[in-house]
Amino acid sequence: MRSLYSEQRTWMHRVPAWAKLATLAACGAGLALTSRPLPLAAALLAVVLLLASLGEVALRQGRMLRGVLVGAGLIVAFHWMLGTPVLGAAAAMRLASAALLALALTLTTRFDDLLAVLERLLAPLRIFFGLPVDRIALGLGLVLRFAEDFHAQWRRLDDAHRARTGRGGGLRLLAPLTIRALMTAERVADALSARLGR
Amino acid sequence: MSRANAYDSRTLASVSLFAALMAALGLVPKIDLAFGVPITLQGMGAMLAGCLLGPRRAMLAIALFLLGVALGLPLLAGGRGGPGVFIGPTAGFLFGWVLGAGATGLVFRAVLRRLPDPTGWPLMAAAFAASVLGGIVVVYAAGVLGLAAVAHMPLHSAALSMAIFVPGDLVKCAVTAAVVHSVARGLPAWRLDRG
Repeated sequence: MRSLYSEQRTWMHRVPAWAKLATLAACGAGLALTSRPLPLAAALLAVVLLLASLGEVALRQGRMLRGVLVGAGLIVAFHWMLGTPVLGAAAAMRLASAALLALALTLTTRFDDLLAVLERLLAPLRIFFGLPVDRIALGLGLVLRFAEDFHAQWRRLDDAHRARTGRGGGLRLLAPLTIRALMTAERVADALSARLGR
Repeated sequence: MSRANAYDSRTLASVSLFAALMAALGLVPKIDLAFGVPITLQGMGAMLAGCLLGPRRAMLAIALFLLGVALGLPLLAGGRGGPGVFIGPTAGFLFGWVLGAGATGLVFRAVLRRLPDPTGWPLMAAAFAASVLGGIVVVYAAGVLGLAAVAHMPLHSAALSMAIFVPGDLVKCAVTAAVVHSVARGLPAWRLDRG
C-alpha cells in the first residue's frame, strides 16, 4: 500500500519532517485564533501559493483537493442560507488553509520520517506511562502488511460468491472476512509472542 | 493488569489486524442497499471493534488506524489520508469512532454479563443495542460537536444536518449484530467477554 507521499521531489521534500510538523501545528493554532476574514484570506492565498510552488505534485491530488473544496463549499452555502456569509467565508477559508497546508505536508514527507518524529515525541510517555512506542511502529507495519491481504481475501470471497450466485457478495462477505481476520490475529499473536517474548 | 501485560502480543496482534481489516474495508467499494442508498463498510469498524475486541482493544485498534491515516496512509474510504482529514467538517466523527468503539465495547460486555445464555438472538440484540449506543449516539455526539466547531454552526443545525445519515447507520448496527452473531458461531473459541 502506497502512502500519499509523492516520490517526485520538490523543495519542500528537503525540509525536515519535524520542522514541517511544527510549522503546521503553529499555523493551525494561529488560524484557529483568527476570525477576521482579511487575515484568513491572506493566509489562504499564502497556502495556495505554497501548494502551487510544489508544481504538478500538488495538481495531481485531485481527490484530496476536491474534498477540501466540497467541505469549504458546504460551509459557505450553509452560512449563506442563514444570512451569516462573512462567518461562513471565514470558517471556510480557515478550513481550507489548514487542510491544504496539511496536504502539502503529507505530499512531501515520508511516512518513516513522520513516524520517527512521533516516536521521539512519544518517548517521554514511554518513560512515564509505559506506552509501548516500539510496538506502535510494529503495529503500523502489521496494518500495512495485512490490509492488502484482507482486501485480496475480500475479492476472492466476492469472486467465489459471484461464481455461485452470479451476483456480488456485498454485506454477506463481511462475516467470513472478519472471521478470517480474527483467525489470522490468533496466529500472528502466537508468532509475535514467540519472537517478542510476551 | 500490570503494565507489562497491557500491550502484550495478543493485544498487539488483535489491535493491528483489526486496524488492517478497517483499512481493507475502506478499499471495498460502497455497497448499495435495498433503496439504492450506498453505505461504506468502514463506518462499521468502530461498532465491530467494540463488540469483538472489547472496549480497550477496540479503542486501541481505531486509534492505531487513525494514526496510520494521520501519517499519510490512504486508509480512509476513498483513498484519503494525511493530517488534513482531521481538519474537515467531519473530523469529529473520526475522533468519535475511537470513543464510540469504547462505548460499544463497554455496553456490549455489560449486557453480555447479564445474559443467562449469551448466544443467538440475545447476543444479536446486545450487539445491536451496543452498536446504537456506541456507534451512533457517541459517534454522532462527537461528530456534531466537531461540525459545529469547524463550520461555526449552532449545535442544533449541525445535529439536524447529520440526522439524514442516521437511518443508514441503523442498518450498519443491524449488520454489525449479524456479523457478531456469525463470528460467535464460527469462532466459538473467541472470547467476547474478556481480554
